[in-house]
Amino acid sequence: MTFPQFAEAFYGIALLIAQGLLGLAFLLVIIRIVRGPTLPDRVVGLDVLTSASIAFIALVGIETGYTLYVDVAIALGLVGFLATVAFARFILTRGQTEEDAFEQLPFRDPQSKTLSRTSQGSQP
Amino acid sequence: MSEAIFDTIDGILMIGGSIFVVLAAVGLLRLPDLYTRMHAASKAGPVGAGLLLLALALNAGSSAEALRAVAAILFLLLTAPIAAHLLAKASYKVGYGLWPGSVLDEMPRVRNPEGEDPYYDEEGSQTGLALHEGQAGEPAWRRETKDRRPRWSDLRKR
Amino acid sequence: MILYLINLILALIWVIVTGSFTFLNLVFGFLLGAAALFLIRFQVGDRKHFLRAWLVAKLALFFLVELMRSAWKVATLVLYPNMNLKPGIFAYKLRAETDFEITLLANMITLTPGTLSVDVSDDRSTLYVHALDCSDPSANRADIHNGFEKMILEAFR
Repeated sequence: MTFPQFAEAFYGIALLIAQGLLGLAFLLVIIRIVRGPTLPDRVVGLDVLTSASIAFIALVGIETGYTLYVDVAIALGLVGFLATVAFARFILTRGQTEEDAFEQLPFRDPQSKTLSRTSQGSQP
Repeated sequence: MSEAIFDTIDGILMIGGSIFVVLAAVGLLRLPDLYTRMHAASKAGPVGAGLLLLALALNAGSSAEALRAVAAILFLLLTAPIAAHLLAKASYKVGYGLWPGSVLDEMPRVRNPEGEDPYYDEEGSQTGLALHEGQAGEPAWRRETKDRRPRWSDLRKR
Repeated sequence: MILYLINLILALIWVIVTGSFTFLNLVFGFLLGAAALFLIRFQVGDRKHFLRAWLVAKLALFFLVELMRSAWKVATLVLYPNMNLKPGIFAYKLRAETDFEITLLANMITLTPGTLSVDVSDDRSTLYVHALDCSDPSANRADIHNGFEKMILEAFR
């Protein structure tokens, strides 16, 4: 096996491995976004999702040979950055954490300090 | 021959970049609180995406396209810390706490103008070991602002 | 400052003479103009120009190395079964004063191993930094003090 042959085979395998790893990354980030537990955690997840998408778009650009995909990646990076900034502003103006919001609920048991939504403590 | 070398470098960059992205995602899942997760999100993520864009730049035919990919990398590295900084600042001001296992918190809480705040030190920043999670009572400014939604002016008074 | 303008004019002349107005050619002309000005640096009488360019280039290189190190550190940390975290926020007294210096320092701190800038105090004297390993905050402070802040102040002052 000569070096050029090895290089070509390695290139193809590297593309496949990279695609598999990025798919795994998407899955893990989405688990974090679903599990939360708070809004900023989800926003951080969105940030990583944008990074992973940019990486995936670059990979698609390499595979298909269309370097026009770089422009898509730049636009996605811009939108992702603006989304994170907008979410940060939203968190700041909302001014309360999920815990605060939960404490204001009318049906909450005043003794319970936990976030669990069962009403075990309210029975006399 | 040179094409083969470029292909090999490309392959290494692709695998390395995607490994960084996966480890950013693993860090996001495994690290205990918001601020430590932000470390994974703001470092490993952009570096991984940057390595893949670099592979694209090496793969591109013309210099203009390679230059655009390099510009995209610079843009990514410039915006990631700003986004992380804004998000960390906003969530800290609103009151999302540190992980209980944290060892130090020297940042002052938002001060309530009227009531006394056990976590605010008149000297300013050097409050030492004042983790607001796990300490007795609730910060005064949070009790105070419970009746109405806090406004911008509350958050800016320090 | 005037030297940068002369350098830019030299770059534009290079672009006109070679007859291809592309960005790469402009950059090449700029580098060529810088080299030409470097040859007559004693006559022009502003050697700080080149010293500063060298310091900025050194800062950029140092930054890239630190960036790779930080990504590597976070990536390996995550793989340990017991991560042994000691996170915390420490206060850092800034020596940098202007908006530009503080912004640059905060961004670079975020992209270096184990640290993340959270907030700047209103009077711009203190930077609050979140660190993954905060068991020895004075060592972290010394790292920033002797690393990035020193280089930034050298390059932009």
